[in-house]
Amino acid sequence: MFKKFTPEEVTGQNQVKASVQRKIRQSIADEYPDLEPLLEDMLPKKAPLIVAKCQNHINLVVVNNVPLFFNVRDGPYMPTLRLLHQYPGIMKMFRVDRGAIKFVLAGANIMCPGLTSAGGALDEEVSADAPVAIMAEGKQHALAIGYTKMSAQDIKSINKGIGVDNMHYLNDGLWKTLHLD
Amino acid sequence: MAVKLQPLEVLYCPVCSLPAEYCEFGPDFEKCKPWLIKNAPELYPDLVKGENKWSWMCIFLHSSGTTSDVKKDEEVKRLPGGKVKKKEKPEVIVEKIVRNKRKCVTIIKGLDMFGIKLSDASKKLGKKFASGASVVKGPTEKDQIDVQGDIMYDLAEFITETWQNVPESAIYFIEDGRKVPAMG
Repeated sequence: MFKKFTPEEVTGQNQVKASVQRKIRQSIADEYPDLEPLLEDMLPKKAPLIVAKCQNHINLVVVNNVPLFFNVRDGPYMPTLRLLHQYPGIMKMFRVDRGAIKFVLAGANIMCPGLTSAGGALDEEVSADAPVAIMAEGKQHALAIGYTKMSAQDIKSINKGIGVDNMHYLNDGLWKTLHLD
Repeated sequence: MAVKLQPLEVLYCPVCSLPAEYCEFGPDFEKCKPWLIKNAPELYPDLVKGENKWSWMCIFLHSSGTTSDVKKDEEVKRLPGGKVKKKEKPEVIVEKIVRNKRKCVTIIKGLDMFGIKLSDASKKLGKKFASGASVVKGPTEKDQIDVQGDIMYDLAEFITETWQNVPESAIYFIEDGRKVPAMG
């Protein structure tokens, strides 16, 4: 998704209305309840909240020129990896085995077998179409953020094909975009 | 939740920007190694054991050389699939597009590769040729300058004179769909 992302792909940056700001904040709080007490620091009411629209219906939530969250169309907001690294507990986690790391870091979607094998792990409560953090075997930080295509139960039982869509991974375009101005 | 989560400090490798533990999957593990040995030896015990003697010597010997190496590497963009994109040779391409049969627009591409600010360049061009000159987003995400009128005749001279770092040999005209060097 952000494989070839560059700051030039931002088609427009808008400082959003207070009402939209509230809505974004609310939906982030709903999605990540653990993050709620931090939202005040992260998205201060005073600082202007900017929504950058990019190609492919991607929106970036930008505060102080730093992209913090992104979403697609009207989908759920997902934190950027840099943010997730700081607060690793906020998202449901899946873990892939070591063999999959290479592919995930090249932008591949996460296939079921990589999650169900010995090195992988699943959070069983996760349903389909939910954002998850992708961790890796033997590593402590997330390497990607994905969007589940099927529920964790299905991943286990079907064990074939794409389990999680890779939205944002280490060293992709968004990762390299430290600042937007 | 009553307790506020504290942000976690993550060790990022300055060479490849990944968290240190992912360096081994990064674009250039070899380049990261000296830094890793210094700053995150616990993550790669093998590395330290095997290369301790060597790398320290290398660091010592190449300490001046490595920094420039890294800089150079950043410019080489990596295409998906691990292929290394070759750095395009900087060149200026001048093209004329005829509109309304007797009016034309001259398009200049590639000036930015010489580190020239396009907005400044367009202003200068507009002044010199007394015509409209604007920076336009090109088709391949590259900015170009459109200048009204056929100014190809002394454009090459003007470019080399105004920006000394642009050699005349790097300027090309496009005539009948073929690239023709401006020299001669």
